[in-house]
Amino acid sequence: MRKAITAVVAAVAIGIPVADATAAARKVVTVTKTVTGTQAQASRWGYVQVTLVVKKTTTTVGTKKTVVRKLTAVRVPVYPNHTDRSVYINQQALPWLKQETLAAQLKGNVQLISGATDTSYAFNQSLQAALLAAKKV
Amino acid sequence: MQRVEHVMGMPILVDVPDDAVDERVVDDVFGWFRWVDRVFSTYKSDSEISRINRGELEVGDADQCVVTVLGLCEQARATTDGYFDARASSPELLDPSGLVKGWSVDRAAALLDSAGVRRYAVNAGGDLVVRGGGWTIGIQHPLERGEVAKVLEVGDLAVATSADYARGRHVLDPHTRRPPVGVLSVTITGPGLATADAYATAAFAMGADRAPHWTARLEGYEAMTILADGSVLSTPGFPGAA
Repeated sequence: MRKAITAVVAAVAIGIPVADATAAARKVVTVTKTVTGTQAQASRWGYVQVTLVVKKTTTTVGTKKTVVRKLTAVRVPVYPNHTDRSVYINQQALPWLKQETLAAQLKGNVQLISGATDTSYAFNQSLQAALLAAKKV
Repeated sequence: MQRVEHVMGMPILVDVPDDAVDERVVDDVFGWFRWVDRVFSTYKSDSEISRINRGELEVGDADQCVVTVLGLCEQARATTDGYFDARASSPELLDPSGLVKGWSVDRAAALLDSAGVRRYAVNAGGDLVVRGGGWTIGIQHPLERGEVAKVLEVGDLAVATSADYARGRHVLDPHTRRPPVGVLSVTITGPGLATADAYATAAFAMGADRAPHWTARLEGYEAMTILADGSVLSTPGFPGAA
């Protein structure tokens, strides 16, 4: 099962060399592409497929062309449809997610707050946002 | 110009920074929200949803918007493995409120677009759409009221957050009809608020075991899940500060 997953990811990873982007830009072209790995059998669990979103930046200076590919998203559109799939996904999906620790952030010039609806509190938030913006008028 | 009105049981903020924009456009936006409230409110006994629930109105005879929204609810139920469910509170009662909010904000945004407004924000009780660039959005810290857990600097985006620190809405796992455990909040970003909001509600209802993994599979939408143990899990494309 692990072998199959590694194969898919490794195959896709090979296509993403890290290039030097320090050269002064003359002409810069950025293309975002979605690439999909082949479906791989994950033992008795079923199939897994990985999709990657790659941002490709081509910088041309004279005749020298530099290509930088940056991985911007990883998806798992096909995953094993098995009753124990949550266990399986627990093991497999976590590495794709960025993990941080909850902490209050500097608010800076926050204009809007996204949060669950709590009537009185949300109203205060909206009001606060309005007041903040009003200061800048 | 900024205006806050209390409609659909929540404060709705419309922010149009360009003062040259005709204020009547903003009037129209609030007129639209009031119409949505009259038709969809489960608190108003003469709304079409209340009449459908009492068996006085057939869905087929309801306003075309009601048919559209109920169709979207069904679609959301299917794409979220049943975790978004307009009948989550009771199998006999239809409550599309969870989708109406996002859908009505998407339509309000379309209204502003077609009026030629380039830069604006519509924030409906914490679920919002921004257009035109240069917006700084704070994600409510789930444990500390005056704080934000994340700051996003974005241009064109819908942002929806589902959480349990609020009293206004109780999210239930439709499969167990109990509140989910282990998740403090889920924020979804993407092109449309109806979808982002439905995904946020569904992921929150899934609880800590499933939510982060389910969000890893979403197409076109990014997620940030805050778990009760204080870990914050984001999909690789989730926006941040510049």
